[in-house]
Amino acid sequence: MPTTTLLQGTLDLIILRTLLPGERHGLGIARRIEQITKGTFVVKPGSLFPALHRMEEAGWLASSWGESENNRRARYYRLTRAGRRQLRTETDEWGRISLAIAAALESA
Amino acid sequence: MLSRLASLWRNLFRRERVERDLDEELRSYVELLAAEKVRDGMDTAEARRAALLEAGGVEQVKEQVRDARGGSLLDGLAQDLRYGARSLAHSPAFTAAAVVALALGIGATAAVFSVVDAVLLRPLAYADPERLVVTLHHGIDPVSPANFADWRRQAASFERMAAAEYWTPNLSGDAEPETVLALRLTADMFPLLGVRPLLGRALLPREETPGQDHVVVLGYGLWQRRFGGDPGVVGRSIALNGEPYTVVGVMPGGFEFPPFWATGAQMWAPLALGNRAANREASSLRVFARLKPGVGLGQARAEMTALTARLEGEYPGTNRDVVVRTLADAVTGDVRLALLVLLGAVAFVLLIACANVAHMLLARASARQRELALRATLGATRGRLVRQLLTESLLLAVAGGLAGVLLAWLGIRALVALGPATIPRLATVGLDGGVLAFVVAVSLVTGVGFGLVPALQASGRDVNDALKEGARGSTEGGGRHRLRSLLVASEFALALVLCAGAGLLIRSFVALRGLDPGLDPRNVLTMIVSVAGAREGVPGRRAAFFERLVEEVKALPGVRTASAINHLPLAGDIWGLPFHVEGRPISRPGEAPTATFRVVLPGYFETMGIPIRRGRDVGPDDRRDHPEVVVVNERLAERYWPGEDAIGKRLTLDDAGQNPVWLTVVGIVKDTVRSDWAAAPDAELYVPYLQGRGYLESSSTVYSYLTLVVKTSGDPIERAPAIRRLVTSMDSGAPVSAVQTMDAVVADATAASRFYLLVLAAFAAVAVLLAAVGVHGVMSYSVSQRTNEIGIRLALGARPADVRRMVVGQGLTLALAGAAAGLVGALGLTRLMAGLLYGVRSSDPATFLAVGAVLGAVALAASYVPARRATRIDPLRALRSE
Repeated sequence: MPTTTLLQGTLDLIILRTLLPGERHGLGIARRIEQITKGTFVVKPGSLFPALHRMEEAGWLASSWGESENNRRARYYRLTRAGRRQLRTETDEWGRISLAIAAALESA
Repeated sequence: MLSRLASLWRNLFRRERVERDLDEELRSYVELLAAEKVRDGMDTAEARRAALLEAGGVEQVKEQVRDARGGSLLDGLAQDLRYGARSLAHSPAFTAAAVVALALGIGATAAVFSVVDAVLLRPLAYADPERLVVTLHHGIDPVSPANFADWRRQAASFERMAAAEYWTPNLSGDAEPETVLALRLTADMFPLLGVRPLLGRALLPREETPGQDHVVVLGYGLWQRRFGGDPGVVGRSIALNGEPYTVVGVMPGGFEFPPFWATGAQMWAPLALGNRAANREASSLRVFARLKPGVGLGQARAEMTALTARLEGEYPGTNRDVVVRTLADAVTGDVRLALLVLLGAVAFVLLIACANVAHMLLARASARQRELALRATLGATRGRLVRQLLTESLLLAVAGGLAGVLLAWLGIRALVALGPATIPRLATVGLDGGVLAFVVAVSLVTGVGFGLVPALQASGRDVNDALKEGARGSTEGGGRHRLRSLLVASEFALALVLCAGAGLLIRSFVALRGLDPGLDPRNVLTMIVSVAGAREGVPGRRAAFFERLVEEVKALPGVRTASAINHLPLAGDIWGLPFHVEGRPISRPGEAPTATFRVVLPGYFETMGIPIRRGRDVGPDDRRDHPEVVVVNERLAERYWPGEDAIGKRLTLDDAGQNPVWLTVVGIVKDTVRSDWAAAPDAELYVPYLQGRGYLESSSTVYSYLTLVVKTSGDPIERAPAIRRLVTSMDSGAPVSAVQTMDAVVADATAASRFYLLVLAAFAAVAVLLAAVGVHGVMSYSVSQRTNEIGIRLALGARPADVRRMVVGQGLTLALAGAAAGLVGALGLTRLMAGLLYGVRSSDPATFLAVGAVLGAVALAASYVPARRATRIDPLRALRSE
């Protein structure tokens, strides 16, 4: 299955989206992204963790240590209030962009 | 913003925890991944290996996370510093060479800049010093009291005008008597300078009247040394020349009288001219003035020119060439040119050092081409590489700067210790904030400026090219090599200019030292003995005292002969007196011939080794009531009795119209140096002390001292204590001062030239050394880069001599091209130092040829070493070395 590199900025949006239902650890986020994009995007740790840490620094995510489903220690990320706001902003933005691109492609 | 700061804080100070967290997080990720794979049916060990592989380099991920987090810039900086330090430590020879070059450049520049700052740039310590001027004949010669009075009354350009006169009274009292350098001042001198006493008061106008002038203001140093800093000294009476003076004030520490003349005066008393006030002949005053606000120097000069022209019309010969100069100009005077030349020279040294470091950095960058290319392929950005290289050159600059400060500190101590007394304010030179700021600025500019070019060059190249080229080990890229060659050639150009300057100074100095002083300074001890205010100082006893003193000194062991003179050549005062030659028309006032007036005791010429050309020495019978005689120098004899025998001719020092006392010439002696070492000799006449009327009769203290000259058989300075004891035993109130050998007096006369010569020669030597290191470095590098090519040449049958010739030829070409450019520059630049030269033209061909030859030889030697290495290349190894 062909995999695609995520556009800069798109990764943030998708990570925020996967955390909307509740907290997840790093691998959980990566698997969830594979799942919801039907395998189009495979997120490697080399881009996942920098993004997570950057967003934590930005105050969109908060993290804490917890137990995983099979009793392993893992670091869980959840959305903060600012993270939810950011998700809304970015979703709107994305909607505008994809509409614009779709319109542009149709008109051609 | 706040959260950014918080994160910075976290990352900086809780770095360990953050790192530990990250570690654990990644470990947990791998474990979860492995667990997933076990669930899918893999065995544990294999699942773990697969998980690690899939995670893709834990360290790399960590690095990326660190980059993403705040504080990564600082992290990167620390890393750059660590990496830079490590990489510098890996090449100790390069690092040491670069740091030493920078330290020499920065240290020498900071030391010379400190001197220039203290001597030329720092304003004088008076109120509004830029408005202070001195008004003197020819800008340096003293003024008569009547002229001073006229100028002060008539000149409108000045707020105040004040005068000072030299005075060396004997201070006696509880402690040993001593001769103190002092000044007599008109009362408004202190207000004119804008300084106030620390204790008591300054001088009052009414104290300029004879009889009321027995008050004195003490200098801080004298107050501390002689009076223990006792504030109660104000109001106390002290004995000067045996007369009571009341101390009225003490000046603050750090106050010194304008240091262009009478430097080191320690005491100030009122100038009570009395009946001397109308004298227009005897010039003894130095005139200081303060410009009125808004009046420029040009305006004041124009007014003084008009005023003195008017006075000259009224009193011919009395008001010629009166020059108004700023006080700052008078203080720095001749020293300015010398110091500016040294500053220019040291700037050249700094430039050479920087060029040296720059091309070393370039060479290093080329040698590291492969390393940099590798890092670039591994993902280092260009900015990151530039930053890395810049950090390295900054590290070098900072190390060089620190070492430079140390060198500057040592250099300043050496300059202050060795500097001639003619440099004013030299003792105040020190490393201060300004100089340190200068060093920091120079270090940074050097670091960034000379690190940037190689850094950009090294990082900007195509990675593939670099890897390929590096792999082939072929000749380096053309552009960079040209730049390095240019740098080394410039070093030679700059070094040549410095060497030419030093060479010219050496020739000047040789010419100066070759001058014949007309006397033999070896084994001669000199000292001033003053009897002012002492028991033996009264006019009736003075002559007998000195006559007996000389006789008793002659009788001391180790003394061959002894005599005395009023003012010692080079070290002493110069009194010019008008005279008239018998049988010549009487000159108009101010136009009479003048000669330097000396009085001597018998045996002076023998003691000083001055040959008597004709006639005889002053003898013991040349005294009062015997025929009055005079000994003249050759210059005087030739000028006033050309083609005749001067012996037996007569001249007078009196007014020729008024029944004068005629002095018969009984001897002609060789010309000697007067006060200025390099000045041509002038007319001098020697009157027997025992016939000198002023010395026998006047109560004025200017006649109360003589300079004893003693020819010894051993080291003259060893005889000094015995002579001192003898003087004290004859009159305990007679102080001895200025004890020095005649050799030292002569050495002092050329000390300034020697000093500038030594400093410039040291700079030139450093420059040549750096240039040699430069050409050696470039050629060594070129040889190492061309191992392959040279190997092929040798394999194809080139003889070692050919290879050697090729490498040496290239080094020489480089050096000579630079030297040729330097020659052109030197011809232009040495003209600026013409004022420092003696007996040699600034474009002296011999000097330039010699300097060119020296630099050529240095370049030859410096390229020969790498050339020999080139011939030892083994062709097979060279070709196989890839």
